[in-house]
Amino acid sequence: MAVSFQQIEEKLKTEARRLLESGQVSLVLAWGRGFDEKHPMPYVAKGASDVDGIVFNEFCTHNLARYLVRYPRGTKMAVAVKAADSRAVVQLIQEDKVKRHDLVILGIPVYGIKNPKTGEIIDGKTTCGLYNPVLYDILIAEEVHGQPVSSPYAVLAEYEAMDQDARFAFWKKELDRCIRCYACRKACPMCYCDPCFIDQNKPKWGEKSPETPGNLMYHLTRFHHLAGRCIDCGECSRACPVDIPLYLFHKKVAKECEEMFGQAAGMSIEDKPVLVNFRMEDSDKILE
Amino acid sequence: MLKKTAIHQLSDLTSALMGKGTLVAPVREDAGFNFREISDAKQVDLNFHNTIISPKSVFFPQTEDFIRYRTGRPLQEAETVEPEGKPLILFGVRPCDVKSFEIMDIHFSCTGAVDPYWQARREAATLIGYAFDVAAPAEPEEFYQTLGIGAADPEGSDIFMVRRGDDLILKSITGKGEALLAGIEGLAGASADDGKFFDDTVAAGRNFKTRFTCVDAKAITKKLEDLFHNTDFWEKASNACLSCGVCTFACPTCYCFDICDETLFGRGTRRRVWDACMFTDFTLEASGHNPRTKVYQRLRQKIGHKYSYHVRKYGVISCVGCGRCTRHCPVGIDIFSIVEEAMKA
Amino acid sequence: MSFEPKILGIACNWCTYTGADLAGTTRLQYPQNLRVVRVMCSSRINPSFIFRAFQLGADGVLVGGCHPGDCHYNTGNLYARRRLAVTKKILEFAGLEPGRFRVEWISASEGNKFAEVVTEFTGQIKALGPQTKFKIS
Repeated sequence: MAVSFQQIEEKLKTEARRLLESGQVSLVLAWGRGFDEKHPMPYVAKGASDVDGIVFNEFCTHNLARYLVRYPRGTKMAVAVKAADSRAVVQLIQEDKVKRHDLVILGIPVYGIKNPKTGEIIDGKTTCGLYNPVLYDILIAEEVHGQPVSSPYAVLAEYEAMDQDARFAFWKKELDRCIRCYACRKACPMCYCDPCFIDQNKPKWGEKSPETPGNLMYHLTRFHHLAGRCIDCGECSRACPVDIPLYLFHKKVAKECEEMFGQAAGMSIEDKPVLVNFRMEDSDKILE
Repeated sequence: MLKKTAIHQLSDLTSALMGKGTLVAPVREDAGFNFREISDAKQVDLNFHNTIISPKSVFFPQTEDFIRYRTGRPLQEAETVEPEGKPLILFGVRPCDVKSFEIMDIHFSCTGAVDPYWQARREAATLIGYAFDVAAPAEPEEFYQTLGIGAADPEGSDIFMVRRGDDLILKSITGKGEALLAGIEGLAGASADDGKFFDDTVAAGRNFKTRFTCVDAKAITKKLEDLFHNTDFWEKASNACLSCGVCTFACPTCYCFDICDETLFGRGTRRRVWDACMFTDFTLEASGHNPRTKVYQRLRQKIGHKYSYHVRKYGVISCVGCGRCTRHCPVGIDIFSIVEEAMKA
Repeated sequence: MSFEPKILGIACNWCTYTGADLAGTTRLQYPQNLRVVRVMCSSRINPSFIFRAFQLGADGVLVGGCHPGDCHYNTGNLYARRRLAVTKKILEFAGLEPGRFRVEWISASEGNKFAEVVTEFTGQIKALGPQTKFKIS
């Protein structure tokens, strides 16, 4: 099996043109050319004449679901999504940030997408490891058969095996590097709060200066806010200029939520996010 | 004065420099290189292209304490943090970053109120510049040549270094540099051939190829002013922008900051922390009004400030083409490509 | 001098706080290391309170709420149960000793349980020693 990026690009253009010309949508969120081949950019086509600017290649890592909340409610939008990205769309629908009927989801089954910074394939390690979108209206390529080689949570084993002190030392070292540019929260499709808790002055939740206390407060709280919502696209870690492996923490929380509440984020629009839901039968064991 | 040392003896040079003042030099870290205060001469690593955060952080740190106070006590008991004037040696700065200090000087010491913290450090510092490798191609993000900065321009440095194979050639450029260089023992004298290599490198640096061609600052200024109300253009340019602060924090010429009080257990600090014009709350006024709520307004401000308002007010473009903003942008926005688009619009 | 831990207690108004009152009026003895903050419901507790408490030097945090099914607001503690379970996992993965954070359901009539829990938890925190990881120095 092989994925033809060229074919995906052609199909994306065809569908985008059809949707825009028919007036079904007023904009298409896809990828376009960046300053070089290795750096495609999120791209918005607002008319048929913009469609030629659409690009798809192995470096299209960006999760375009991030841009859905930027447009006014009721805007008819088409959005190109890879597997993890489609989960973000589902999660946004669950949270009522976008309406299902306002969206045309262009699902792209794909694997082998690379991080332009490191050249590393992102499947599984920094993403949820799925190949096929979980929700779509139009499928842009054939579904990929066969499932990921290993669990997306496999990368956690090493960190779970550490003892408390080593793990604290690890996170302290990583989080101390943070420069508080907030690229993680801005790249995150689920971070749409305005204002973000860390920007608030009354109450002031954490220090603004990029030092241990504020960094710890910002990141731990952010991990908590994304509990049961993070769809493991890995954008936070790729956006980070100082390479903090935020995805590890998010993955761990996602794994715990899945085990405790029996539901993964963004898999079905019928679901309710786990932390705004409960069951009488939830066991007190989860608190141990 | 022209001297040289073998690269494998770099730690001898750096330990000698450490004896002359606080040494700040590139260090390899988990995520890449950064300028750090050196505690062990062996930490210094010159095998870098450029650092993640620009060396502006040496003169203008991300967090800077001004006043230390205790809550509930009279104002007179608060202590002001005095500017540091310790001798400082900034080692291994690329020519484009050296140029950035000149631009920052406009804001911190040449116009209006002088910033004592910046000025004290700047005056106490001896700059040791380091040429880019002119034999290798430029990195795809860079465009300093476009802004008239060569890959090996010694101007602005007190001492300038050029690498020749396994040797490092050091040339003093200013009197301050000459005094420092003369005080370092154990450096070999350089031959006339090394001198020629140095001059050739500087010359080659002037013809070095980076992206884009030369620019006319006046034309750009005018064009960006004309485009101010072209919302379509700016919306299109900012479609991908996430409005995070990576570009401004990495930038050598961004100087915006926020003043905040951080108090804990009755002890507080009034400090300055970098701020970014790309943040939503950057322009938030006390009344609740925010003149720049949209992403396009913020991106327009950033580009306009660097390439238009700054030129009109101070005569120079506030950008040195180091390419950090492009390199670190999570969505690959390239600032000069937008300027180019603007010129065509 | 022996180590006297600082423990933050966050108690719900309707059950645990009343339970603590009961423990007091029945003159039950329990360690004085707990400083209690009353909230209207265990679901009012923002997880950031807990992170911040550890940063500000708490050696342990004890959260008390109504028994599931008995919430004054019907479902508050059911949400809190899920939320605080996540908080606990986050603290653990960040490297804090798991024993430093505990959630207990204590009703208004369980003065005894309140005293027992506080005694046991204080002992546990004493054994763990001072919390230095999150504490802002």
